Amino acid sequence: MADGAAGPCRADGGWRAWSAAGLLIAALTLPAAALSVQALATSLRPSLWLAAVLAPDPADPVQLRVHFVTMPRIAASILCGAALALAGVIFQQVLRNPLAAPSTLGVSAGAKLALVSTTLWAPGLFVFGRETVALAGGGAALAVVLALTWRKSFAPVAVVLAGLVLGLYCGAAAAALVLFEEHTLVGLFIWGSGSLSLQGWAVVSTLATQLAVTAVLLVPILRPLSVLSLEEAGARSVGVSLHGTRLAALTLAVALTAFVVSGVGVIGFVGLVAPALARLAGARRLRDRLLLAPLLGAGLLWSTDQLVQRAGEAIGGLLPTGAVTALFGSPLLLWLLPRLRVAAPLPVVDPGTTPHRRRAEPLLVGLTIALVVAFVGSLLLGRTPSGAWALAGSDDLAALLPWRAPRALAALCAGAMLAAAGVILQRTTRNPMASPEVLGVGAGAALGLVVVVFAVAVAGHGLQLAGAAGGAFAVLGLIVLLGRRSGFGPERVLLAGIAIGALLDALVGVVTAGGDPRSLMILNWMSGSTYQVDGPQAAWCAGGAILLIGAVALCSRWLDLMPLGDPASAALGLDLARVRLILLGLAAGATAAATLLVGPLTFVGLTAPHLAVRLGLQRALSQLAGAVLAGALVMVTADWLGRMAAFPWQMPAGLIATLIGGPALIWLLARR
Amino acid sequence: MVTGPVGAAAGGRTNGARGAISRRAVLCGLAAASGGAVAAFAAGERGPLRRIAALDYGLAETLLLLDVPPVAVVGARNWSRWVVEPALPPDVVDLGSSREPNLELLQQLRLDAILVTPFQAGIVHRLERIAPVLSFPIYVPGGRPLALAEAATVRLAMLSGRDDALGAVTARLEDVFSATRDRLHDERDRPLCLVSFMDGRHVRVYGANSLFQEVLDRVGLVNAYRGRTNFWGFATIGIEALEPVPDARLVYLDPVPAGVLQALATNPLWSRLPFVKAGAVMGLPPVLMFGALPSAMRFAALLGGTLVTEGSRRG
Repeated sequence: MADGAAGPCRADGGWRAWSAAGLLIAALTLPAAALSVQALATSLRPSLWLAAVLAPDPADPVQLRVHFVTMPRIAASILCGAALALAGVIFQQVLRNPLAAPSTLGVSAGAKLALVSTTLWAPGLFVFGRETVALAGGGAALAVVLALTWRKSFAPVAVVLAGLVLGLYCGAAAAALVLFEEHTLVGLFIWGSGSLSLQGWAVVSTLATQLAVTAVLLVPILRPLSVLSLEEAGARSVGVSLHGTRLAALTLAVALTAFVVSGVGVIGFVGLVAPALARLAGARRLRDRLLLAPLLGAGLLWSTDQLVQRAGEAIGGLLPTGAVTALFGSPLLLWLLPRLRVAAPLPVVDPGTTPHRRRAEPLLVGLTIALVVAFVGSLLLGRTPSGAWALAGSDDLAALLPWRAPRALAALCAGAMLAAAGVILQRTTRNPMASPEVLGVGAGAALGLVVVVFAVAVAGHGLQLAGAAGGAFAVLGLIVLLGRRSGFGPERVLLAGIAIGALLDALVGVVTAGGDPRSLMILNWMSGSTYQVDGPQAAWCAGGAILLIGAVALCSRWLDLMPLGDPASAALGLDLARVRLILLGLAAGATAAATLLVGPLTFVGLTAPHLAVRLGLQRALSQLAGAVLAGALVMVTADWLGRMAAFPWQMPAGLIATLIGGPALIWLLARR
Repeated sequence: MVTGPVGAAAGGRTNGARGAISRRAVLCGLAAASGGAVAAFAAGERGPLRRIAALDYGLAETLLLLDVPPVAVVGARNWSRWVVEPALPPDVVDLGSSREPNLELLQQLRLDAILVTPFQAGIVHRLERIAPVLSFPIYVPGGRPLALAEAATVRLAMLSGRDDALGAVTARLEDVFSATRDRLHDERDRPLCLVSFMDGRHVRVYGANSLFQEVLDRVGLVNAYRGRTNFWGFATIGIEALEPVPDARLVYLDPVPAGVLQALATNPLWSRLPFVKAGAVMGLPPVLMFGALPSAMRFAALLGGTLVTEGSRRG
């Protein structure tokens, strides 16, 4: 991603970039402006426009509407788009990752958790305004990420990983609370989907001030920021303090994101797509991107919001702009993929920091014993109808097993398969962020389910399962189709997975913002519950898990070689395209099977491989075994806790696994 | 065993022919129409259903109306916040959420039947192992919740051997509606906008397909919101989308999310809306928006009281 050095820099390069960018900006803003003007013209005579904007006649409802609704909304869409795009450029620069986005550091999730818990336990705090509460939550999330990565000088990999884990953790905690108190918290779905529906200028003026101050504060760190893309040693040699620059830049970028999130709600994708578009338009230098991306982001959000308003008028209900932006943005990202040169490889874990290798056998035996104990325990230990803890005797067990066994077995199989998929993905992509989620298979399954639930009035279990399976396999096909052109290069596949995941989030955002009770069913399923699994389904999946994990074990030599890098692997005689196809196929198959059991919340697939490595299991086969056992252990425990902890209320296993696994992973990573 | 769709189809058709036929005739017709299937069910060795679990607030309140209290209900701990009346007896078991009612607990309750809505079709295959599952459609695409709630009441009365109570229930329903209609005779020309606040900028507005709309029709009131709604009978909209209807009033349902009323106080558009300027905004105690007959009666009675008090205050 080294700016300037990335390509031949001809004298007219800057001019060309700007003319391409100008066209792009015009293509985005002209329709938006036209739509805005047309909306104005249909309601008000042009001679009154200025009056309506500056000093509306209080007796004229149309002028009031223009003044308090139409104009603030346009201003907000432009400001939010620019702020998020600016934040995106900074994140991508500091984290040296073209996929970094304002959501990467868990700001939105932190804000959401703050809003949810304040609503439930301290509603009095809302006297300071919802914006303040959200801002505090986002700030707290940043503080945690910075504290966790302080000692590593905010190294990009560490920051991304900490942010990712924290985001998932806060998201899971908030989701758990929403599932308990859905009636109370339904209003937050609108916030979570980013509605730009405003009724005054307060939000806009606050946002404008915040944006202006942040932009000014950005100026002094521009120069050090632009050399951050050099390798660390290079940056140090030109006299730049990595620690200070990263701290300042991350804080400013998070502030920009948090201002938008607290003011109007969660708006995804602009912060990812606008910087990518700027890069595509040829803005190679950071300085160019910092100017261009906000313009593109503003145009993107403005035009989307105008279209959203037209569509909303047509369907007669709320269309949340944030979610719809992602809905448009994810196909855009898919289109961008082949054109977007991923200049830098995704970050690599520094091998010098991995722990010493240990003998595998005692560890694996220990994990196996723990798994057996947890599995048997989860079948025996439960609650009586009155809520008291009880160990099931032989009589009760016959009645209880049909309820406990399929769920425990499903959790075990799903944990094992997700862990195996995670090992494959992290080794083949050499990316510690890779988890089964990034394949988009789970998102595909969820999309299939959304379609079935909303298209069919009475969707039984079989139909729901068919929808989810159809979605999962459609994404599998898409991965193979898209991947073939790039020789199954992992970056492309991951980008596609992220786009599909964003598409799902967007669609779920649109349906939940409206408050349809069916959307809660989707959220529940997406939180990873074993509730619907029955005996035959669990048995089938156990068979599938044994086959798939066995097949992965047979590929362990490839998995040992892949982390060495493509040239080395090829030199050692691997047919890279074929090997990647097989490995990705296995990972996707295992993810699909697991998703059908426990939904698409596959955090354990991220955690378990790290857990195995931290325990000292380095070789592919022993890491695989360790991860599979650890993944199964975490999921069995999470499922049992979900069934029993809040008895009679049930909590989805995927959420609990995230709540247990998140801190564990952070602790393991920090313990160097 | 899901007999829901059959009953729903019968209910829908019967009510399509509604108009000249009186309510009571409709109820009796329904009873006759579903009588065959119900009788076959009830005539088994089980006898009338006694130990029933209701996986929906609307079905649970219907059981209470028929004086056949359910053994267990989903979300029992939140009942007093969202349903309020009829009060839930304290010994009713809490089953957890409506999406994941606790299966082990259901198993240990030795139930005669489990009542669900079509919304829960995805978990019926698990519930069927525990007890016969009966599905009652109330909120379905194109459905009329009040009519479907009446059909559900009839079916539940037959199944629980309480068909003798149906006459009293119907009479009470008619009484509440006609008393409210008489009480609100002077108010019937003033349109009414019915909302739940979601946050400081958005409301859920109730309209066509909602239980509330049907009650408004029955008590002779006009809904100011004529926009489109989903099949649950509401639309989520920004406050700016509330069309200014002359002389309209706004009734909002409690509970209001924390901080919303303060946020509204500083919302410049809100303070300029006609019903706000006219002081014609009033709160209504909680009423279950996805309820059945008891909720319909509670809504009618509360609305009558609130509007009359408001009317007399304004002279």
